[in-house]
Amino acid sequence: MAKPNEIESAAALTKKRRLGESFIQSFLFVCGLLSIFTTIGIVFILFNESFAFFSRTQWETTNKPITADIDAAATVIPVGTRGATLSPGQVIRLRQEAMLIEAVDNDALTLTVVRGYRDTEPMAHAANIVFERANDIDVIDTIRSTKWIPQLGEFGIWPLLLATLMTAVIAMIVAIPLGLAAAIYLSEYASERVRSILKPILEVLAGIPTVVFGYFALTFVTPILRSIFGMDTVEIFNTASAGIVVGILIIPLVSSMSEDALHAVPNSLREAAYAMGATKLETSLKVVVPAALSGIAAAFVIAMSRAIGETMVVAIAAGAGPKNFDLATDSLFGYVLNPFVAAETMTGHIVRISGGDLSYDSIDYNSLFAIGLALFLMTLALNMIARYFVTRYREVYE
Amino acid sequence: MSELDKQTTNGGDLNGDRFFYPEGEALRLQIDRRRRRGLIWRLVFMGALIVAMLSLTALLYNIMNDVFGLTIVINKNDPQRLVLDLWGERMLTAVNTVGSEDDNELVAGIANDMDGLGFFGHAYYAANRDGLRLVTINGRSADVESAEDYPLARPLFLYTSDSALAANQAANIFLNHLLTNVNDEIRAVGYLPAPETAQARARRNWITANPNLGLAAGQWAIINPDGLDGRIALVGSSTVHPLTERMLAVFVADGYAGTFENASVGSSAGIAAFCAGRADFAAASRPIKSGEIEACRRNNRFPVEFQIGVDTLAIVVNGNNDFVGDVDEAQLQALFTAVSWSEVNPAWPNRPIKRFVPGAASGTLDFFAEAIFETRLDQLPKDDLVRLLRENISLGRGRTLERDQRFYETSLVFESPELWNEVCAQPAGERPSGCTGRVRDQDNVYDLLIREVIEPDVVKVYKLVESIFKRREIADEAALLYPNGVLEFRSWLTADFIRDPQSSTPEYAGVRTAILGSLWVILVTILFSFPVGVSAAIYLEEYASDNWLNRVLQTNINNLAGVPSIIYGMLGLAVFVRALEMITSGAIFGLVEADTTANGRTILSAGLTLGLLILPLIIINSQEAIRAVPGSMRQASLALGATRWQTVWYHVLPSALPGILTGTILAVSRAIGETAPLVVVGASTFITFDPSGPFSKFTTLPIQIYQWTSRPQAEFRNIAAAAIVVLLTMLLTLNATAIILRNKYTMKM
Repeated sequence: MAKPNEIESAAALTKKRRLGESFIQSFLFVCGLLSIFTTIGIVFILFNESFAFFSRTQWETTNKPITADIDAAATVIPVGTRGATLSPGQVIRLRQEAMLIEAVDNDALTLTVVRGYRDTEPMAHAANIVFERANDIDVIDTIRSTKWIPQLGEFGIWPLLLATLMTAVIAMIVAIPLGLAAAIYLSEYASERVRSILKPILEVLAGIPTVVFGYFALTFVTPILRSIFGMDTVEIFNTASAGIVVGILIIPLVSSMSEDALHAVPNSLREAAYAMGATKLETSLKVVVPAALSGIAAAFVIAMSRAIGETMVVAIAAGAGPKNFDLATDSLFGYVLNPFVAAETMTGHIVRISGGDLSYDSIDYNSLFAIGLALFLMTLALNMIARYFVTRYREVYE
Repeated sequence: MSELDKQTTNGGDLNGDRFFYPEGEALRLQIDRRRRRGLIWRLVFMGALIVAMLSLTALLYNIMNDVFGLTIVINKNDPQRLVLDLWGERMLTAVNTVGSEDDNELVAGIANDMDGLGFFGHAYYAANRDGLRLVTINGRSADVESAEDYPLARPLFLYTSDSALAANQAANIFLNHLLTNVNDEIRAVGYLPAPETAQARARRNWITANPNLGLAAGQWAIINPDGLDGRIALVGSSTVHPLTERMLAVFVADGYAGTFENASVGSSAGIAAFCAGRADFAAASRPIKSGEIEACRRNNRFPVEFQIGVDTLAIVVNGNNDFVGDVDEAQLQALFTAVSWSEVNPAWPNRPIKRFVPGAASGTLDFFAEAIFETRLDQLPKDDLVRLLRENISLGRGRTLERDQRFYETSLVFESPELWNEVCAQPAGERPSGCTGRVRDQDNVYDLLIREVIEPDVVKVYKLVESIFKRREIADEAALLYPNGVLEFRSWLTADFIRDPQSSTPEYAGVRTAILGSLWVILVTILFSFPVGVSAAIYLEEYASDNWLNRVLQTNINNLAGVPSIIYGMLGLAVFVRALEMITSGAIFGLVEADTTANGRTILSAGLTLGLLILPLIIINSQEAIRAVPGSMRQASLALGATRWQTVWYHVLPSALPGILTGTILAVSRAIGETAPLVVVGASTFITFDPSGPFSKFTTLPIQIYQWTSRPQAEFRNIAAAAIVVLLTMLLTLNATAIILRNKYTMKM
């Protein structure tokens, strides 16, 4: 209880610092900051491990032996004829010591090398040790190669990326018309009573865990596809089934976001259209939908982002191995872009590899983060685009 | 060009300055057209919702289709056989019991002993009535006209096929002759006529096999065998043998001039000989089994059943026995296990019972045991089950089981007392769990018996819908593919499924480990993300001024909500599992469990990862709830001199609580269903022990579903479906709680 003379002094009231209050405020602020740390953590870890991936050296054996004992100082090394061809500029390794090839003499069968390359200790080597050749991973190779075979040092992102995009596109083909039509019906046609029955159904659909949808894809949709198109055409694991189910999965997302956008269109627009003699359909399709277009576009983009990031359905139903291809020999529509062929997506690959016995600091471990980074950047970009659309329609109508 | 534009331009005068709109009929047509189009599109829009609804239905239908259904089970040991052997052995080893395969020995034994008691086929009783007296069961006698209600009655069959009859006219006419005359002769061999319906069915079957006679159902033709030549081969049950022998004699007496062969080899051998084409008829004292039908079909013989009579087992006492008249089934059981008459009924003399029963090799003993004793394994008392277990598993295995859990409080079944005392003298923690703890009950021993002895193996599963609508086809297929399999309806979702830990055999696998794992992980998630999320929301709504930092915060949170969940898994892997391994493995607290190799892959890591994942959702939902609290409330509180925090704590939060709770529960149910981040963080694929704390290895329900779905064997799909039902039930409960909570608090306000 404050004493009366304290209350009389207005200065005492204003200046009083409440430690508890500021402590609480700081705590709340830190909690808010945690989300920033999460983002920083995600970005840092993805970049850090991806950097480790791209700066990593894979050593592959060349089968080419040295033919005589050498000491730690020798720079001209006699080599055998068998094994892979070496060329200047390549980095090779004998046991723990790396060397840079400066020149190759094919007549004398010798290599001129820089010893103790890449911070390794020069040491003496006995005859018949086989060279290993450094296979550096770089971003260009990753983008150029169409094969993802970690065992062979091939890390082309295309098989995984293509599968991801294929499932996402199939999902969008399913989700956009259905989601939008559902949104138009709910927003423009349905009575309050019908809405109160139908909306919860969509919410239930949205609340079902994705692993259940994966089960659905594998045990329901795939058999249906196989019975329609034939067992030989459709593989047990295929992107079509996964894509369709991902599409079903994101219908609620598309419809609820689109419905919000349609709902935000002011009634005066509708009334104006009716006054001009437009029917309900004409009002909906030619006035309300165009007016809500940016919001609807945002819904589509978010849905795309969700479809790309969706994991369990594709991990279960799409395939358990990257669909490596060679554009020179594989038919484009018969194999590469064939939705009935098994293909592993980026997310599916991450789940499969990390579900096994994954040893840290292995190339597999690092490669997952590189894929994760690509995934993160793709979804982030899509989310940004969606945000841009959302702000646009908010500005117009609110 | 839009439709509206078209209408105006088409209707208008392009060159003049006058616009006119369609009138009269044209207007009506146009309106009709537009209305029709509106209607069609309306249906299209509604169709989209219907498709969404249908997919939800298909999803649930698909799950239910896999949770229940017919299965074909092959038992390594037949449970029926086990029980029958148990009873057979018990009857034969009872005191004063003589077992003999020779019925004459039994008849003589009972006739010569004042306290004699026994049973054998009614035929033998009919032939040897002197010195014997029939005992009735519940007032029913083996002698009376219709033995239908008599518990110890079994049908007598002849099996043949339409093709066999068509191929051998002698056999065909013999069957006609037999069906015509059997009722007149059957009593002479001590059996009873078949029930009316069975007789009618037999005649109908014969008519079907002889379509050329043009007989309708219900009609009958009597064919005179006089002068008929041919050869008839009949083989099978020794029980049926006297009857067929007599019927063949009558056939010959009526003029059959051909030859015949009638071999008594037992029902199974008879059916096998018939199916192999070595005989025209198989005689059997039991119905043909599905496997045998299939074996026949493979030889292009489709067995048709003809019941020709009923055999009853006669319960017989010595002719001078004047006290045993009518007994009930309980007394009958006692008669063949008790020592003296008075034990069965106190009114009877206290003299030992001398029993004469058929030996174990004959089917008669099995038949008696099956009719009189309890033959369902799960209904047997615990002692009997333990006995079966002891007889059928190795001593070593038994010891392991006994060390896990004792069978009896005071006695040991497998272990020797010395060893047991030695093992149990070890300090707590090292001695086996069987030394203390609960004793196995009947249910438990039954389960053991199933797993260790019967060893059922589900070899094929069918979906629920198939099981209901294609039962016949499935039964045929089962008989074709798995002749010794048992077709049974199975629910994969049972109490045991929820109670049992993970197992590598789908039949015994359960989700207890996974449910407990899910609950632990969610507990950690809630403890972390609820306070942090609500705090962040309070900061953003009540404290944050509109500066760049807070705008970045808000944008960042919205962006985080859109990051794929698998990315959170990678964050968790790198941060919680690897970087903070000392903390998340419990090493820093000295809490590492000796037998786990979890490292950082613990419940704590998983919970925190999911916590980060749902944090943005909780913040956004809580923000909305806080924002919905009217500003006037805050102003009133502040005006009364409350500090900012007091306003938040006493006024804003209580009002926003229902919304915050609902939002949190929705976020938590998302976390419960999350799979991908946990796979990445390193959920264990196979653990059978319950998680004991935040530093345990873990598995969760969705992980389990994923694992099981990925297995190629069909049965794993079934348990995956069952686990999905458990998961969806959990989520439904949670969401219902959210709704109830919201309603309760909303009403209060």
